Amino acid sequence: MADVPTVMRTCPPLGSTPVPPLNAITMATLDAARLLMESGGKAKSVDELVHLIAHGLGAESAELRIGYASLSLTISIGHSSITRMKKVGLIGVNQQLEQGLWHLAKRGSHERLEVEQVEEQLARLALATPRYGAWVTAVGVGLACAAFGRLLGVDLKGSVPVFLAATVGQIIRQLAVKFGLNVFICTGLVSSVASLLTSMGGRLAGSGTIGTAVIASVLLLVPGVPAVNALNDILEGYPTLGSARAITVMMTLVFIAAGLWIGPILLELWH
Amino acid sequence: MSLLTLLHQTLCGAVAAAGFGMLFNIGMRQLPWCAGAGALALATRTYCTGLGWSLEGASFTAALVVGAAVQLLHWRMGISPTAFDVVGCIPMVPGSFAAKATLGLFAAATKTGSGDTRVLLTALQYTLSVAFITGAIGTGLAIPTLLLRVRVPLHASRPDR
Repeated sequence: MADVPTVMRTCPPLGSTPVPPLNAITMATLDAARLLMESGGKAKSVDELVHLIAHGLGAESAELRIGYASLSLTISIGHSSITRMKKVGLIGVNQQLEQGLWHLAKRGSHERLEVEQVEEQLARLALATPRYGAWVTAVGVGLACAAFGRLLGVDLKGSVPVFLAATVGQIIRQLAVKFGLNVFICTGLVSSVASLLTSMGGRLAGSGTIGTAVIASVLLLVPGVPAVNALNDILEGYPTLGSARAITVMMTLVFIAAGLWIGPILLELWH
Repeated sequence: MSLLTLLHQTLCGAVAAAGFGMLFNIGMRQLPWCAGAGALALATRTYCTGLGWSLEGASFTAALVVGAAVQLLHWRMGISPTAFDVVGCIPMVPGSFAAKATLGLFAAATKTGSGDTRVLLTALQYTLSVAFITGAIGTGLAIPTLLLRVRVPLHASRPDR
């Protein structure tokens, strides 16, 4: 369902207790939806996953409201229905976790899974999904930014500082996330450090394309997935979430630009 | 456009997509597919711009090609098509234009001389390019998803309980 509030269509009679598994089904399904949101899933995917898991667990209908920071779900079985809400944490991109969630949802739709099994699998996915090491990711990102730089026309002398600055920037970003720093402050910090390092490195190496190299070194911060998700969400009938994502993308760009602005000022002050 | 330029752009697109694939925690076995998607995107865009197309038109065509290829092949890749779409098109996201646009707007806000209009116009041009290129990529990716996606009725696979 698109971004409209869901309404409890059927309620248990007054004085009766809710059907026991209803709450557990709703919370397990919401947990899966939350994990997919936090892994960078678009709204339609989250909606589809919720339907697969909820129906697999025996729900007759599942109606989801997707917000940027919270999810609400109404699950119905027979004459009973229940609505629950869950907060969404920091939104990133984690493809292996997303893949694991889809695997679980498809398994749940083909074979009978109990709520406890789904909860256990979700907890396992959240904790045990493999990740690349911090340094491996940082070097990969550094190489990607250097390649971006080449695409933008950065000369070879400028590509090495881009690689080094982006690698350092990614390490700083990982540390900042670990210590719970605000995501926008983190973006500004990484942007200023990476632009400062690229400016210094570019001058030392004698690059003739320092300006473009500085921009290439902060491209790791450009929120490409949220930008494409925002557009997809709007096109697929989720304008509220799409707009929220678009605003976040814009704010991130402002902080990247602020960092790009601060970096060269620091360099001038140093000289 | 020389073959060397095309190869250079294709290789850089592949490296950029694979690097961002690692950032997005895509599995090691799927990384070559990411590199392939990035290479396909950049090769198509470079070829189209070589024909004299605008960057927006070339980006739209490249996203359309990547989106269609991913929709047709994703069952072999063992990964969700959305991730491949996005990773493949990441090298085309106009990040440098976005940074230049925002910096230009900062500069326009602080200028007081007669050069204001020029600075503002340049910043506006970059802003519009960002909007159109992002729109072109998003639309190019959305069309194959909407047209080629295999739709499985959700209730059909529900187990009896």
